[in-house]
Amino acid sequence: MSILYADYNATTPLDLEVRAAMADALGACFGNPSSIHRAGQEARRLVERARAQVAGLVGAEPDEMVFTSGGTESDNLAVLGALAAAPAGRSGVVTSAIEHHAVLEPCAHWRGQGHAVTFVGVDGEGRLDLCALEAAAGSHIALISVMLANNDTGVIQPVVEVARTAAACGSLVHSDAVQAAGKLPIDVKKLGVSLLSFSSHKLHGPKGAGALYLRRGVAIAPRMHGGRQERTLRPGTENVPAIVGFGKACEMAHLHLAADGRRAAELRDLFETEILARVPGTRINGVGAGRLANTSNVAFAGLDGEALAINLDMLGMAVSTGAACSAADKTPSHVLLAMGQSEAEARSSVRFSFGRETTLEEIDRAVALVLQAVTFLRGARP
Amino acid sequence: MSERIAVAMSGGVDSSVAAALLKQEEHALIGVTLKLQECHDAHGSRSCCGVDGITRAREVAGNLGFPHYVLDCVKDFETLVLLPAWQEYAAGRTPSPCLLCNERVKFGLLLDWAGRLGIERVATGHYARLGRDGSGRPALLRGCDEGKDQSYFLAGLSLSQLERAVFPVGHLRKPEVRELAKRHGLPTAETPESQDACLVEPGESFAEMLRQRFAAPARPGEIVDEAGHVVGEHAGIHAFTIGQRKGLPAGATARRWVKAISPESGQVTVTSDPRAILGTEFVAKDVSWLAGELPATPLACSVQVRYRHRSEPATVRTQADGSLAVVLGRPAKAITPGQAAVFYDGERVLGRGWIAALA
Repeated sequence: MSILYADYNATTPLDLEVRAAMADALGACFGNPSSIHRAGQEARRLVERARAQVAGLVGAEPDEMVFTSGGTESDNLAVLGALAAAPAGRSGVVTSAIEHHAVLEPCAHWRGQGHAVTFVGVDGEGRLDLCALEAAAGSHIALISVMLANNDTGVIQPVVEVARTAAACGSLVHSDAVQAAGKLPIDVKKLGVSLLSFSSHKLHGPKGAGALYLRRGVAIAPRMHGGRQERTLRPGTENVPAIVGFGKACEMAHLHLAADGRRAAELRDLFETEILARVPGTRINGVGAGRLANTSNVAFAGLDGEALAINLDMLGMAVSTGAACSAADKTPSHVLLAMGQSEAEARSSVRFSFGRETTLEEIDRAVALVLQAVTFLRGARP
Repeated sequence: MSERIAVAMSGGVDSSVAAALLKQEEHALIGVTLKLQECHDAHGSRSCCGVDGITRAREVAGNLGFPHYVLDCVKDFETLVLLPAWQEYAAGRTPSPCLLCNERVKFGLLLDWAGRLGIERVATGHYARLGRDGSGRPALLRGCDEGKDQSYFLAGLSLSQLERAVFPVGHLRKPEVRELAKRHGLPTAETPESQDACLVEPGESFAEMLRQRFAAPARPGEIVDEAGHVVGEHAGIHAFTIGQRKGLPAGATARRWVKAISPESGQVTVTSDPRAILGTEFVAKDVSWLAGELPATPLACSVQVRYRHRSEPATVRTQADGSLAVVLGRPAKAITPGQAAVFYDGERVLGRGWIAALA
């Protein structure tokens, strides 16, 4: 069955060149990069080449990249690793209310340990409240963590200003760039961050690989122990095939960044124009802010976003809501709630996200399917 | 005709086969598994409601080629089923949570949820059949497999709930269902029965699980014989049900059965005379009639007082307070307050009440 896939922010299909690059590492090059012999040497070469490719995507040096299993691990290592290594007297954390759970939960865990953690809010368009961030910053803060772009709305966050605030109070600054990497040009030096997380499978690489950028001179503590790999920050034999694929995917993303972005913006803008024109009672969340070019979070007045997502699934179109299916008092997207929306408003939203393989024809079909499903649901009994 | 149907899938063989049969009829299907407990509560559970059930159901739906979702009912299940069940145990009665689950969750929350998606009907793997009565209203009938019939658990559904229900395996016998599972290549062909195992492992006590979940105090007390002599002590009345033999101090001469449970005194009365746990009369409360209105009484029908019990001929009469006085034609064993009394006209369910007190 062919699915009209409009959920690229959840994950992306594997790029064919990435798959070809991985074939070697899945076949002849099976060595352990830590081994002394030639097989190990070859595997090491592949890993280090990937490290340079991954570093290249974000303007970092290869020796500033730590490979992990993915975005969640990178975020956890960044947050908990930075806090574990923080100097005495600095244990506070400032983050945003719209972070991914991979940042929110470690921060909540840290707060559970008795430390001060502030979750800074956003405005109605989903942009970080910089004044509140500055007010929360201070000499007791060990880490400020703000995502580069939000996964639900695509709204881009003012990380440069966040990093400036962090520098002024002497804190480390981390940014979760899982959703932004491959979609926005990223230069860690211009951003001024100490730590930056991103993931392979969001940019047409395989699942099971991610990276944490760690600026030279920044010290964090490992969360696992038992090996010398990744400068002891991430012990365990490297997932060589996934790392190789991740490297290739970063190289491709870097290469296609501008073209991909332009194309995604055209398709997304067309989608939004058509939806707003043809589906009554629709509104775009975060439309007033700078957004990722591929993301469209649409509110359908009076509708249940989950019902729409499932009906679209039955029609062969894959989209996402910010929440899991739940019988009654389901909690809608924490991101939309943080934007000041009521639970009913937040529940009426669906996220559409497009990507490299999306075609103009698919956008037309997507609009038609959304119209069909919305018409059906509005006609269906309450 | 093709319909939009949500299939409640536990991951077990019955609901998997139900889904396969509907798929064969080319209905537009979605599979739904109700999540009834948090993963961390499951402690490696193999029960139908655990995470492995979700995984199996998802696999079956995938193999059959329709989408599958997990509906989080954890909080509602606790409020609508588990807490009332505990309150029954605490009051010295033995609850029938499966009826509540069907009435309030599967054909309550799930039916409502499906309705919001524009899906009119909900199918389950219950062994029960649907028909029509003389005036065209839906009728709930016993499943064809006498040993598996689950109409008892569905007897509290309303006409409007039955109108939207589908029971695709109700006309089959269990071996046929297993055979169909094999023929459809369903991975669930050999899975064990999930019945009665909801949230607890075989051998674990459902009542004790509830007590711990709600951090409720136990009601300990004496075990007395019919003459009032103390023969032992117990740690909580919730561990007992009428007719129970396990967990009682051995009698001098014979086996013992629980005859009565008093929540006030905490006393559990036991008997050595098996005839003492036979009864012919009881009162049923909160009766719901499938036809909606009360049939004219006295009504001659048959009554089943527990799942897997044989139904007995009976005469029921309405009383001034709206409850029903039920007189059985033959003595039945272990009529237990808290259990459902289900009224049948032959194969057809007339309604259900809750056994309140023995007369």
